[in-house]
Amino acid sequence: MKTITAIAIIGLIGLASVSCSPERAALVEGKPGVQLWGENCMRCHNTPSPADFNDTEWSTVEMHMRVRANLTAKESEKIFEFLRSAN
Amino acid sequence: MKKIILPLLIIVFVGNLYAQQDSKPSKTQFMIRGYGSASFTLLNDEGEKESSFNTGNFAPIFLFKLSDKLMFETEMEFAYENGELETVLEYANVMYTLNDYMTIRAGKFLLPYGTFMERLHPSWINKLSSTPLGFGHDGIAPSSGVGVELRGAFNVSGSKFNYSLYSTNGPTLNDGSDEPEEAGILHFNNFEDNNNNKSFGGRIGFLPFTDSSTEVGFSFLNAKVGDTDSTYEDITASLIAYDFSFIKKINPLGGIIDIKAQYNKSIVDDASYIEVHDDGDEEEYTFANTSDSFYAQLSYRPTMSESKFFKNLEFVGRVSELNTPEGAEWESNINQKTFGLNYWLSWRSAIKVNYQITDGEGGHGGGLIDKKLFTIQWAFGL
Ligand code: HEC
Repeated sequence: MKTITAIAIIGLIGLASVSCSPERAALVEGKPGVQLWGENCMRCHNTPSPADFNDTEWSTVEMHMRVRANLTAKESEKIFEFLRSAN
Repeated sequence: MKKIILPLLIIVFVGNLYAQQDSKPSKTQFMIRGYGSASFTLLNDEGEKESSFNTGNFAPIFLFKLSDKLMFETEMEFAYENGELETVLEYANVMYTLNDYMTIRAGKFLLPYGTFMERLHPSWINKLSSTPLGFGHDGIAPSSGVGVELRGAFNVSGSKFNYSLYSTNGPTLNDGSDEPEEAGILHFNNFEDNNNNKSFGGRIGFLPFTDSSTEVGFSFLNAKVGDTDSTYEDITASLIAYDFSFIKKINPLGGIIDIKAQYNKSIVDDASYIEVHDDGDEEEYTFANTSDSFYAQLSYRPTMSESKFFKNLEFVGRVSELNTPEGAEWESNINQKTFGLNYWLSWRSAIKVNYQITDGEGGHGGGLIDKKLFTIQWAFGL
């Protein structure tokens, strides 16, 4: 078991270091809310549309999902701003 | 029952008052959501056939957002089991955002032990009508805990990490004194602790790619599980889980491919338990108390199809297995294959048609297991 854990950890660190580059960071930084919505909100369930909720409801869902889905602060800010602007 | 329904109605009523003030939003935001399901099952258990309509379950969720940083969430689950209405408080916790990278939660919360229970178990999210082996009743994976948790997420040059660290009352060891056939099993639903030791656990998730399509996770949970002042006081349990998730719209395949998998392992220190024979004689026995379970699920939804009907269809397959300790009264080796065809009526409502084959040996009844289950379930998010 310990070996599996060790391999997993080494693998993770390896993947992390391979994937490190300033261009990638800038790419993620520059993603608009609509794209982050498309990429993230389908990871666990089907993607809701902006029209499914009103602004107040979206802001409640925002906090619920940010915590439950472990979204980064920036990500969730952009996604829910988009949802509130397009409903 | 009345004791629960009355406060519920009051909450619903007050909630509507808030909802009606949309043009002038109140500082406290309140929302009722939740989910439910109804199903029909046809079971063939070693040739014996049973069929039944099931009321399924109803699980209301109440969300109170008290400020931009403070929120309370609670979910109750109502289900009919053996002719009785069962009420379970699935979770009830308060969360406070400390900063961009840290949120603290306290109360009863779903444990981030792997991803199935925390993220995928609600019937409108779960793509099949059953849970994989190893979860839920008689499972080896904990689903919720009472305690405190710190969690958050951050970017590291284009990749994403998320973490959770928690301390809860922790699992309890069934020492067999009341239920000899369950000696050595861990129970996870503990509102009150059986000892002064608190469990410590956590999960780290890593999303290597910039499109968040892939996530791998590692979870652990360690605790002393025996009753204080009993011979089992120093028995510890250590649980680990690995999870994997991949989901992406793949153009050449014309739709979304979704893969989810989780491996759970539970190791409990060796201990002696007592077996009472039919003639009243008692015998001590022990066994290596290690269990594991695994599931992998693949689904495909042709979202890019021209036809509205095909667009809403989803094909699902899942394999799952559970192995509990050799030598225990609850020893079992079970395999399961589940196939499903879903029709999505909306983003949170589906008709699921499932066929599930379970075989193996052991479990509560002992002996060989050979079950075929056909289910039609209507799951809806509210
Ligand atoms: C990591 C998994 C995960 C991701 C990613 C996720 N959700 Fe959820 N979502 C859930 C779960 C689990 C529930 C059900 C909550 C419950 O039953 O306790 C849920 C419920 C919801 C609900 C129902 C109302 C509520 O708050 O319970 C909405 C709306 C929702 N999600 C929107 C979103 C949006 C928008 C996104 C994209 C930012 C998103 N979700 C991403 C797991 C996720």
